Amino acid sequence: MADIKNIVSQLKSLLTASGVEKYAVSVAETEKRELNTEGTNFNLYRTTFGKRVSVTAFIGGKKGSSSGNDFTPEGLEKVVKTAAQGANSSPEDPANDIAAYQEPAVFKTGTYEPDMDAFYLRLKELTDTVSAKHPKIKIMALIASHDKGHSLYANSNGTEFEDYSGIYSAVLEFAGNDGEKTTGLAYDGVIMGDLAKPVYTLGNIAKTLADTENSLNPISVGGKFEGDIILTPAALGEFGMMLVGNYISAGVIMDGTSLWKDKLGQKVASDSLTVRAQAQDSRIVACQKHTGDGYAAENVTLIEKGVLKSFMLNLYAANKTGLSVTKNDGGAFVIDEGDTPVADMIASVKRGLIVGGFSGGQPGANGEFSGVAKNSFYVEDGKIKGAVMETMISGNLEAVFANVKAISKEQVLDGNSALPYLQTGGITISGN
Amino acid sequence: MLKDIITAKKVCFADGVQTVLRGHENRSRQVVLLKGNLVRNDSSESRGISARVTKNGRYGFASAASYTEADAEAVVRAATENALFLDARAQGAGRSYPALANGSVKPRREIRDAQQKRIIDTCHEIDAYVEKTYPDLVSRTVVYTEDSQDKIIVTSDAACGHVTYPRCYIYVMLTAMGKNGAPVELFKAFGGAGSFEDHFADTAYMYPEIDSLYTRVRDKVEGVYAEAGVKTVILGGMMGGMLAHEAVGHTVEADLVIGGSVAGPNLNKRVASELVTLTDYASTAFGREAPLPVYLDDEGTLAQDVTLIKDGILTGYMNSRETAQLFGMTPAGNARAWTFSDEPIIRMRNTAIHPGKDKLEDMIASIDDGYYLIESSNGQADLTGEFMFGVSLGYEIKHGRLGKALLDTTVSGIAFEMLKTVDMVSDNVTWSSSGFCGKKQPMPVGMAGPEMRCRISIGGR
Repeated sequence: MADIKNIVSQLKSLLTASGVEKYAVSVAETEKRELNTEGTNFNLYRTTFGKRVSVTAFIGGKKGSSSGNDFTPEGLEKVVKTAAQGANSSPEDPANDIAAYQEPAVFKTGTYEPDMDAFYLRLKELTDTVSAKHPKIKIMALIASHDKGHSLYANSNGTEFEDYSGIYSAVLEFAGNDGEKTTGLAYDGVIMGDLAKPVYTLGNIAKTLADTENSLNPISVGGKFEGDIILTPAALGEFGMMLVGNYISAGVIMDGTSLWKDKLGQKVASDSLTVRAQAQDSRIVACQKHTGDGYAAENVTLIEKGVLKSFMLNLYAANKTGLSVTKNDGGAFVIDEGDTPVADMIASVKRGLIVGGFSGGQPGANGEFSGVAKNSFYVEDGKIKGAVMETMISGNLEAVFANVKAISKEQVLDGNSALPYLQTGGITISGN
Repeated sequence: MLKDIITAKKVCFADGVQTVLRGHENRSRQVVLLKGNLVRNDSSESRGISARVTKNGRYGFASAASYTEADAEAVVRAATENALFLDARAQGAGRSYPALANGSVKPRREIRDAQQKRIIDTCHEIDAYVEKTYPDLVSRTVVYTEDSQDKIIVTSDAACGHVTYPRCYIYVMLTAMGKNGAPVELFKAFGGAGSFEDHFADTAYMYPEIDSLYTRVRDKVEGVYAEAGVKTVILGGMMGGMLAHEAVGHTVEADLVIGGSVAGPNLNKRVASELVTLTDYASTAFGREAPLPVYLDDEGTLAQDVTLIKDGILTGYMNSRETAQLFGMTPAGNARAWTFSDEPIIRMRNTAIHPGKDKLEDMIASIDDGYYLIESSNGQADLTGEFMFGVSLGYEIKHGRLGKALLDTTVSGIAFEMLKTVDMVSDNVTWSSSGFCGKKQPMPVGMAGPEMRCRISIGGR
């Protein structure tokens, strides 16, 4: 491994010599060891060694960024020169800035050095378990890796964050298959700090496999009606990201297209909804350590009991809008669990869907969405009638979270997030 | 441009295995103006070297994030060890795939850098035009994005070569306030294969297009929701391209066929009306250079076109060397990798539905109650061919005439069922090439289609 502290030191000297007053640099080395299967056969072992150097230069309120992967003196000089040129080419904007000095910190996540023999055995155990327990599941691929990284962030205000991480991950791609009958593509995955537990037992993998196996004989919903949907944790994750993108993120607050831009501190969703972006959470493996602006990341509550508590604004957006900076760039989202068992939620549905995934675009600024309900099941009079296909759902994103009927007491932890099931009403459901 | 330091390293290739050594550089630039504010001003380069070694069909891959002769030797050694690791644990005898034709490919395009200031100034000029001409807009965004790939590919038993793929685009996005207080937006992409000066030395050609985009945004302000249900529609060329790529293209990638896609049991069967022919073009399409030409893939296969559907019959798949052997087909250069650290996987190149003989105006006149769906914001499909496309621009058709614009909506269907309903195909093809396909790795792809009349499910109120 390279001496990344020395490289940061070289970058600082080059930046000072170039007349750059304010800067942030980041240097990282990574090693990926990836095992892939085709079907259940391990057919690719991939080892990649990566390097990254990033420089953001500020010259009189002008900003430029450059990155590369060449750690030689010439390579470092080129990155610094390109960033400085970028800054000099930019218009002056006093909103460009970096975070004030933060206490130095060293972060450690997961298992830094991989045990590939043990990992191979865990993965083999997973494919063997799937084959034994789910005979109508056809595994397309298992993509699993250990990602090791050592990085150092530093800026001209004296902040230094050093990070060591070693994370195992596994993503299973599969479909239900029975002769010529096949389901749509399904996938599920987890990230892990260690190999203590069988992969099959983590996250929602076993449930997603079972649901897919039960989807081989889809029924037609037929016609169009308004009903309830129960979003699974996977689907809730998708809708949650759309919520952040449409109403809370920096871009839509800065350009004024968010319908919530003036609603900080006001009720925007159901009382039962609390959404958090976590920096420290024992349930989540890969929490963010520091923001791109150079703040030590903090746990941020975005919506608390339906009230909008925070936007997700980086320092530039905060300076532009006069609002507070958010010391979290997102990534590790938590939606607090409720008190309703999933079985009770299903029993309460007169007519609707359990939605396992959503195939649709980001809604427009008005929140209107429509798309295909994937990996989904039709529910009538509290009973699951069968898997559906060619079924569309449409509604309004804001209304999805305003009309919450129940949030499950069960919460799925996949290493990336902690999400429950969520039941909402007023959704237009149309079948072919 | 990469200097060739790796061809001489063929001497390091082990016997009894199949080896590909690749030097690979990616460059990218991005400038984003949001309401005139420069919110992004980035450039990035990464360069490295990788080796893929195949032993009895089992792959070892290794890469290093630098580009030296020592790295070339090291990655060949590590990839060979990885292949042997898997081969030792594998059950059953694997098999090597056949050697391919030799050949040597030379770069067709130079990757030329523009000064960052020139890029920023051009974006500001466009932004200033929009701000001055259309002060009623609530927001506007101008994005310059550029990515290029420079690769040297050396193989043990196939073709070799040096290929360069630069491309760049300017996106203009306009946002107006809708009638109900909710904003509506549309964007247009300009550019294509080549460097900044190839497309933006003179931007005068963009302004009439921006004016047209504004007109459509105003139409959308007055837009209505589509009525949910199965409707007769005309899919515009962009939508046709999305259909070609997402709904059909992915299902006929041979790795997804192995995974159980609907194309498996449908080879040599009718999957579309006889008006539909679909080709994945390598470097030339309809008598002109394809938008994102590919000459040599990352397994050393010289690129050729693949006919996927001929007059409605499914005729082929897109393959790697491994899958081509499995299906008894000929590899045609679809195995591609995005960065030096990526292994090649089966990817589309320039995938297009062929034009027909109908005129768009006749097609519109033929519909009493339906929709003309022009622009797609995104699309997804899965193994069954069930697809979803976001529709960002469309119009009602009432009594053979265009009516009101539509607010954002979605269409969906099962590709091989929906394509059988195609009964009119226009004589015009529209290409798009600015996006990335996402399939483990990003990859630039081109897609195109004519206007097609068909029956399709549309979402709405």
